[in-house]
Amino acid sequence: MEDSVLTLKNLSVGYDEPLISNINVEVFPGEIIAILGPSGIGKTTLIRTISGLVRPLSGSFDLKVEKRGGLGYIPQRLGLVRHATVAHNVSLGARTRIKFSLNMWKERSQRTMDALRMLGIAEKSNEPVRRLSGGQQRRVATARTLAQRPQLMLADEFLGELDHSNVEIVFKAVQTLVENGTAVIMVEHHDDNAQLFATRIWNIKGDTLEDFSLEEWNIRTLGGEEE
Amino acid sequence: MKYRLFGIIFILLFLAWHTLNGLIEGDWGRLGGGFENLSVFFSESMWPPNWSVLEARSYPVCESDIEFFCSVGYLGMMETIKIAFVATILGFIGALFFSSLAARNLVPLYVAIPVRILLSATRSLPSLIWAILFVIVIGFGPLSGVLAMTFYTVGYLGKLQYETFEGMASDSLEASRAMGLSRSSILLNVVIPENSNHLLSQLMFMFEYNVRHGTVIGIVGAGGIGYYISTYLKFLQYEKVFALLILIFVVVVIIDLLSMMVRSFVNDEGDVRRPTWLNFILTPKEE
Repeated sequence: MEDSVLTLKNLSVGYDEPLISNINVEVFPGEIIAILGPSGIGKTTLIRTISGLVRPLSGSFDLKVEKRGGLGYIPQRLGLVRHATVAHNVSLGARTRIKFSLNMWKERSQRTMDALRMLGIAEKSNEPVRRLSGGQQRRVATARTLAQRPQLMLADEFLGELDHSNVEIVFKAVQTLVENGTAVIMVEHHDDNAQLFATRIWNIKGDTLEDFSLEEWNIRTLGGEEE
Repeated sequence: MKYRLFGIIFILLFLAWHTLNGLIEGDWGRLGGGFENLSVFFSESMWPPNWSVLEARSYPVCESDIEFFCSVGYLGMMETIKIAFVATILGFIGALFFSSLAARNLVPLYVAIPVRILLSATRSLPSLIWAILFVIVIGFGPLSGVLAMTFYTVGYLGKLQYETFEGMASDSLEASRAMGLSRSSILLNVVIPENSNHLLSQLMFMFEYNVRHGTVIGIVGAGGIGYYISTYLKFLQYEKVFALLILIFVVVVIIDLLSMMVRSFVNDEGDVRRPTWLNFILTPKEE
């Protein structure tokens, strides 16, 4: 079995009081994990903790990715540079993973344009991000992670505001990362999206994280245990 | 909410009045006399402005076909603008360097605090004092003016910039940090572009400020139009001083219009309709 990219050991996350306690899970390359649960329960805090932006209250996590560019993160508000162009934003992702060489500018530009084409926004490459619609901005954020090619991608409701066809475009792009071994952890509000794309579900209930395979989750939800 | 706002404004005005009353020891009569003095001084000494400051000087002989280019007003103003331009550019770059080390959301507190103290020290000396210091150190002339204004610009713009950086939305910073971008890359590719509207506005404001203050530092021998203002003041030629003040006012208004134009490239309003040069003079009609 492949080595995990992330191991959470007795991890408790929260700000002053723990929101989720005693998490013990491992994440392997190529997995797509959807975190489900009601608003305010700690889903965002969990991925902010994994991304290193919030300190864990107790326990530890072991992130086995390269320090520079190994982790991709799409925050809830997307984290785009609004006054810069679409291409500039996407190239930030490529920048983290390309080593210094004479070809680096060419390679960066190539990766940027490939990602933009895959997300269907290549014609917007020179537009400032602030001019784009919410859905287009989500595609830019995804393209940035696509150009980065991280080992672990964390995304906070990145499929929100997207219509069905755009969800498919975005997820097709994410699938290319997954095929190359990227693990994805995404916070989702829509159970449908989780069931369509995820391979594992982390359901937050109370202050506990329940870990399910997709099959187990389907049996559980179809069997009416949630009611 | 509206009444609370009025209440706060009223309290602030009362505090200001009360403090001023203490400062002048209740002698409001001086204010009335002051207005009368100003009116007499303005009507008898300053009015009408003497526009000979825009005519060619008698010496050295004018070699240009257009007399204006040899005038005291043009030469002094151009030197002031050049001093302000160089000082603003150098000061802006210096301020960017220091402000990126002073913003608490970009660097740890143990780095930010000493840099803030340094910026405060630079700012606490007005540009006039800097000018006097540099005139003593390197002598009269525009170089003293440039150095004085550069130092003051670093301190002043540095504060505005680090406060702007601290006020930016955190999501783009968080995403960049999580991605593993270096500090310098975050500054150059995220922080500066994200705050470009504010930075440009501050840059243009500082340029305008430096042009205005060029008149003051010129008085102590640091070059520019202030040198001529100082000379005319010594010889009590107030109508010429007034003409030069009007010239400075016109230049300041032009810089303000230029600032509006430049910022339209990086703000949301500019996306909808970028102002034309005509819009600066005539307010566009609502469609």
